[in-house]
Amino acid sequence: MLRILLLVLASTAVLCSVEAPPIRFEEIAAKAGLRFQLQNGEAGGFHQIELTLGGVAAFDYNNDGCADIFFTNGAEIPSLRKTGAKFSNRLFRNNCDLTFTDVTTEAGLAGEGYSMAVAAGDFDNDGFTDLFVAGVKGNALYRNLGKGRFAAIEMPKAEARWAVSAGWFDYDNDGWLDLFVANYVEWDAAKEPRCGTPERQYYCHPNAYRGLPNQLFHNNRDGSFSDVSMGAGIGRQIGKGMGVAFADMDGDGFTDVFVANDSVRGLLFRNQGNGKFEEIGLEAGVALRDDGHAIAGMGADFRDLDNDGRPDLLVSGILNDSFLLFRNLGGRLGFEDYAQRTGLLMSTRQLTGWSLGIYDFDNDGWKDLFFALAHLMQLDRYLGRESALPNRVYRNVGGKRLEDVSADAGVAFEGAALHRGAAFADFDNDGRVDVVVSAVNGPAKLFHNVGADRGHWLGIRLRGVRSNRQGLGAAVRVHLADGRDLYNHATTAVGYASSSEAVVRFGLGASRVDSIEIRWPGGHVQKLSGVAADRIVEIAEDVKP
Amino acid sequence: MRVLILFLLSAVSPGQPSYEKANELFVAQKFPEALVAVDEALRLDARLVPALTLKAKLAMAANRLDVARLCLEQALAIDPKAPYAQFLYGMVAYMNNEMREASTRFQKARELAPRDARVALYLGLTIESVGKPADALALYEEAIRLERLSGQQQADTLLPGARLLFLLGRLEESERWIRQALQLSPKLRDAHFELARILLKKGEAAQAAAEGETALSLAGGSVADSAIHYLLIRAWQQAGKPDRAAFHAGAIKAREN
Repeated sequence: MLRILLLVLASTAVLCSVEAPPIRFEEIAAKAGLRFQLQNGEAGGFHQIELTLGGVAAFDYNNDGCADIFFTNGAEIPSLRKTGAKFSNRLFRNNCDLTFTDVTTEAGLAGEGYSMAVAAGDFDNDGFTDLFVAGVKGNALYRNLGKGRFAAIEMPKAEARWAVSAGWFDYDNDGWLDLFVANYVEWDAAKEPRCGTPERQYYCHPNAYRGLPNQLFHNNRDGSFSDVSMGAGIGRQIGKGMGVAFADMDGDGFTDVFVANDSVRGLLFRNQGNGKFEEIGLEAGVALRDDGHAIAGMGADFRDLDNDGRPDLLVSGILNDSFLLFRNLGGRLGFEDYAQRTGLLMSTRQLTGWSLGIYDFDNDGWKDLFFALAHLMQLDRYLGRESALPNRVYRNVGGKRLEDVSADAGVAFEGAALHRGAAFADFDNDGRVDVVVSAVNGPAKLFHNVGADRGHWLGIRLRGVRSNRQGLGAAVRVHLADGRDLYNHATTAVGYASSSEAVVRFGLGASRVDSIEIRWPGGHVQKLSGVAADRIVEIAEDVKP
Repeated sequence: MRVLILFLLSAVSPGQPSYEKANELFVAQKFPEALVAVDEALRLDARLVPALTLKAKLAMAANRLDVARLCLEQALAIDPKAPYAQFLYGMVAYMNNEMREASTRFQKARELAPRDARVALYLGLTIESVGKPADALALYEEAIRLERLSGQQQADTLLPGARLLFLLGRLEESERWIRQALQLSPKLRDAHFELARILLKKGEAAQAAAEGETALSLAGGSVADSAIHYLLIRAWQQAGKPDRAAFHAGAIKAREN
């Protein structure tokens, strides 16, 4: 009896002493050899393109199991030429010891033009992740040849449009990744509108520019692509695209698309499964803010936040917009505003957000939020405060409340900069998700997650057989031993102009995995059990003859 | 007495009659004619502060904030204690998103005219936009109190505070403010819209839809038709009337095309 009592007391003491350990990051870019400075080429001309660059990718280009990093970069204005090494896009190989080596030259990825965004995906199913780099006056597609080299591939001839984000997904479930490109506005340096007065010039509002349709490129399975934008119903909708995110929002086995637009309503393209999309942003309740106002939508992530199995939607905006969080109610009910109830609405009202991500940074079983922040340049004179901002991280408390824990996230996390792109991966394979962030005219940052261990974790690297090689679009349910279910899906299109690792990650809390259910694109379900935690497992698609 | 009469006569500006005419034309919303008259007043007396202020108002109505700013700078150089000119300068800065300047000007105006409810209201709006909701709410309450004291309560003055309370999740208080506004002005479109938002948030979808439809049927206000249609899409969907929701979605899409 005494022994039992002591055990009970001991366990009670442990319970009482347990406080939620903070999510904490160290900024280690310089120490890790990740020396990159994003150059926007500004020279006092107040060109809109100076504001919007900075995409980053986290992807494993050499299949060594360690996530590498690619940065897009600007160019001289108005020539839009990369006139020196400082404008080069850059690839950094992860040496698997949390140091990085610049391998841009041997990889052939220095690039041309004014680059904006990057999307990583294995479009030719050869096991090597390829890159699409979007730009102001032209995009580039690079096939990963293996052995550390990439080769540029010709894209369909199309009018050069300013693309700000892009992503890979298999919209027709044919097993080959297709490409979605989110285009922003018509822009020409020579015809750039001027706003303000000669003495007091400022960057024009997006209303001064005409919006553009997005583009969908179908993978022809032979290394070429066809522009199917109009036929698919994507190209009929004009927007000012900034962020793109994918999820099968209605569980029908087909991947849907959300596009965050700047100062015009957001677009939600429901995949009808017949090669066509229906735009239902208004009907679904994700097109506008709750009061009917179109925010300056920037980054987006489309992921289940409250563990109900339905992907929710997060969108960043600018000062006085408040960021948007929509909870997926399922079926005809669409989505509801969830930013107010969770505390995100008022908490983000004074922020301007670019990239973002929904990841479980403390592995407690609830996905948290990360925002890369900065006010628009030149805003300081109006606000009386700096445009540079520190980033923010919010802890998800039971799917009901989002608590700003940035103040406890480490000294380096408080550093202000003109942050833009952000990509998410576990760069040191310790089970905790890290973040790489670009900053306009400043050094990139690598936030190494050093938070106290809160729980077990599992990473799933999918290998499609009938599906696309990376299994992008696959939805994964992890059933825990304590009876809870966790949900996530495979996507690299996360945030703003950026691309994150394809590994599907779960924080498990104190529990263990009981079983795993994978719904591959198209609906084929695969079940597994006996999967050990605290590791990355590779799961190949189980294809029945 | 003769000296006093002479002094009063000499104190009347030569531009005063033209200014008064311009003011009457402004009230009658005859803006081009008012501009001609106010320019005449300023030709006769370039230091006539009310005329400079009126010209600033005309410039603001024409969205020439640069001209308005110049007029107000001239007016305040002549009379730095002109409360209305300070208030209008704050308005120009507010409309230009220059919140630091707006806040300074409204605070000066508030010192000069502490009983002016408009100043408290706009200082509240400015303070809210720089992230001080508690201070803003106090100023909205002060604006309402001042209007009640003066016996000239305006329904519009209740709306910013009600909206802020809504954002803060204080739905019951927000609803109380909105219903007060509707008592004062039953055909206030913006108030019906805000009430519909509150009802929808509270899960009373059918009532929200009815309020939204009322808002849509009313003219005036600052809420765009598209915002009301968007609310009605969600309200009718939740009320189990997808055909009505589709109608409102179609209305927005028709405008987009």
